[in-house]
Amino acid sequence: MLERKLITKVLEEALTTNADFSEIFIEDRSQASASMLSSKVERVHNSRTFGIGIRVAKGFHSVYGYTNSNTEEDLLKLANDLAQSFPGSQEKKNIVLGELKVGTSHKSRILPSTVEMKDKITLLKRADKAAREYSEVINQVMVNYQDYEQKVWIANSEGNYVHDVRVRTRIAIGSVAANEKSKQQGFNGPGGTHGFEFYTEMINVEEEAKEASRIATVMLTADHAPSGKMPVVIDNGFGGVIFHEACGHSLEATSVAPGMSVFSGKKGEKIASPLVTAIDDGTIENAWGSANFDDEGHPQKRRVLIKDGVLNSYMIDKLNAIRMNDEMTNSGRRESYRYAPTSRMTNTYIDNGESTFDEIISATEYGLYAKKMGGGSVNPATGDFNFSVSEAYLIRDGKIAEPVKGATLIGTGADALLKVDMVGNNLLTAQGMCGSASGSIPTDVGQPTIRVSEITVGGRKAAN
Amino acid sequence: MNFEKLFERAKEKNIEDIQVHYVADTKLDIEVLKGELENYTIADTKGLSVKGIFDGKMGTVSTEVINDDVIDFIVDSVIASANNIDSEDEVFIYGGDSIYQDVDDLYNKELEEVDAKTKIDLAFDLEKETLKLDEKIKMVQAFYSEVKHQVRILNSKGLDLSKVVNSATAGVYVIASDGKDQRTGIEYVQSNVYEDFDIENIAKEGAKRAVDALGAKSIKSGDYEVILENKASASLLAAHVSMFSAESVQKDVSLLKGKIGEKISKELISIVDDPFMKKSPRSGSFDDEGVATKYKELVSSGKLTGYLYNLKTAKKDEVGSTGNGFRNGISPTNFYIQPGKTSFDLSVQSMKKGLIISDLQGTHSGTSSVSGDFSLQASGYLVEEGKIVRPISLITVAGNYLEVLQDVTEVCNDLKMNFGYIGSPSIKIKALAIAGDE
Repeated sequence: MLERKLITKVLEEALTTNADFSEIFIEDRSQASASMLSSKVERVHNSRTFGIGIRVAKGFHSVYGYTNSNTEEDLLKLANDLAQSFPGSQEKKNIVLGELKVGTSHKSRILPSTVEMKDKITLLKRADKAAREYSEVINQVMVNYQDYEQKVWIANSEGNYVHDVRVRTRIAIGSVAANEKSKQQGFNGPGGTHGFEFYTEMINVEEEAKEASRIATVMLTADHAPSGKMPVVIDNGFGGVIFHEACGHSLEATSVAPGMSVFSGKKGEKIASPLVTAIDDGTIENAWGSANFDDEGHPQKRRVLIKDGVLNSYMIDKLNAIRMNDEMTNSGRRESYRYAPTSRMTNTYIDNGESTFDEIISATEYGLYAKKMGGGSVNPATGDFNFSVSEAYLIRDGKIAEPVKGATLIGTGADALLKVDMVGNNLLTAQGMCGSASGSIPTDVGQPTIRVSEITVGGRKAAN
Repeated sequence: MNFEKLFERAKEKNIEDIQVHYVADTKLDIEVLKGELENYTIADTKGLSVKGIFDGKMGTVSTEVINDDVIDFIVDSVIASANNIDSEDEVFIYGGDSIYQDVDDLYNKELEEVDAKTKIDLAFDLEKETLKLDEKIKMVQAFYSEVKHQVRILNSKGLDLSKVVNSATAGVYVIASDGKDQRTGIEYVQSNVYEDFDIENIAKEGAKRAVDALGAKSIKSGDYEVILENKASASLLAAHVSMFSAESVQKDVSLLKGKIGEKISKELISIVDDPFMKKSPRSGSFDDEGVATKYKELVSSGKLTGYLYNLKTAKKDEVGSTGNGFRNGISPTNFYIQPGKTSFDLSVQSMKKGLIISDLQGTHSGTSSVSGDFSLQASGYLVEEGKIVRPISLITVAGNYLEVLQDVTEVCNDLKMNFGYIGSPSIKIKALAIAGDE
């Protein structure tokens, strides 16, 4: 932590040339992780991160610098170096920092730093045991545990001064099922903005581990997926990654502001099927992507991105709001002090519709049922997306038929959004790590079960 | 921090041996877009990773708060970490090798002496040069990034090694549009010699990649003969590189387990790990465990000859470490498929009907290094009678990586390292399953 006086001095030093905005981001983070493989604890690691990022801007143009040093000399030098990017001089600015605002939501009851490592290790052992007992074909299990307490202080030349503590934890289980012919993996990784109470109050470690083994086991007997265009039913929960990749990234100001997104300049226009309403909400109590403040020091909020198919709002950070001449949506996020903040998603999902799961399946004569999604990526300029399906089945005559492996869904976000022709009523969210310009950050994805009338499925077999 | 004091404190607390790995980095990132300096970032960071043997187990900790006040935190964390580990693997702090090969061009002071203004101007010039090449080019993001990386390894067995590396990347990300279709292209050069950043050439290549792809459409599904262009082949190799790690083999998650001496690919293929490659920031004479690095062939004319080892896995297999112990695990240094003799153009000319795949997307999710199966979004060109007919997009290519290596029919002479340390020349493959629009 830095003295209020020093923070003010650094912010003022950054404005000695021609810049009009300065910001300091101070981060102190303690992290613990442990991993298990072959039923042995392989690695237990503590780490402490401390660093300071300084941003200086004029209009929407900004420069950024970061350091691990907290000495007055180093920080003033960094601020001054950055200020030189905006040549000129101005009257000395007197910055008056407001009262420190401290976040009060998303509290954790049991701080991970107060829990002994051996109790965290017990979780690994329980998960490993449950995953292995699920089936004889499970021949390898990997379990990773992680928790962290990220303390941030953010202050800027407008006098805003906030403090937030983000406590998060996650356990990830990877099971491998094997027979003579093949090996298949199943994965499950629940997490939240919670302390250690997550493992007693929110989830059952054994059930989560069995889910990873179930996927691996089912996929072991699966044949290769067919290829070609077909209707695809994407299940709830992590299925929301389709929206995250195909549309969410293209609605971030990072790609919208410079006109690089297919959705640039489309506010108020119909960009999706009228069945689609999509939300990005950073305020959901204790959700994985929630926080009290964004990483520019503004309170998190709920944003309706798409309302009944019409583009309602982008996700916009402070500087891009100036650039776009649009309202800031408090969407500035970053992995750590090593990144300047930019517009990012928090907890992003397609909202509930009216169909039941059974209605959606029985209305589909032939197609792919993507029960569990893997990861994916998108090119925001073209909207081309791809993502892998980690658990898939064919749908025949309105019924879920045999499992298939190795399916990839490809298409463009704009097209897929318009082709959503059924939306279920079983909204569920799941946790992921999202990598982009300002680093890797926790985000929730989510949706009810949806059907897209036509997507290209890439598999190894001709369609039949 | 006084390392002597840390070592003493560790000894008092019965840590048998201890090693510190100290890293100091300075970074510069520049990005130009629409005639404006879009990003300018400077950084100066230091980090300390410590490992120590306590009661026969290896405990680890890392910190960016580096002063004498955290000595107790470090020692206590090493002990707490070691106490909870139940892996029975033997662990080591290394006393050092007798010879470390000199690698003299890792650090080029001249690169650092070019001032920031000149580097910013380079990015502006890259944008300008690229934009004027074709009116279909709508936007160019030009970038220059430079890093200086200092490492020192010091341990209680008397080892004291250090190195300084610097490297820069300059390139363009290009968006082209013909009014109906929009496509992107990327081109970059990595080096620590400033004169290597040939603005004209980078601009030309980047522009070509975006413009040539305009009007790309899908194709009919089926099996096609394929040329995997160098960067695409490198990204596919990168997704499967963990197969070569002795750790994966010993944990039974590698397809290459038990295959030493066997032919895993066509004779055309040789794969090497080269820690002495020029102008690579991954090069160096020692790994993170302090072991001397060495040049080695992992696949020799199709035959698997070995795995990548660190100290722990080498001990298990009763061999020597190959000097690939990085970041508490195993990583390659500069890992690539050896180039062949055929030029890329000749390889295209000899193709009757097939595809050039120039880009693969989603290699982090659409591949499995455990099964070797992959299914990836791809784009490239359709080739008929030795000529490029049209660009292709929105297709997936699916297969199994080991089967791909068995089906290679030609290796080109155009080796390219893909963003750093994994490289490949373009390779021709007999057949791959392509999913298109019908």
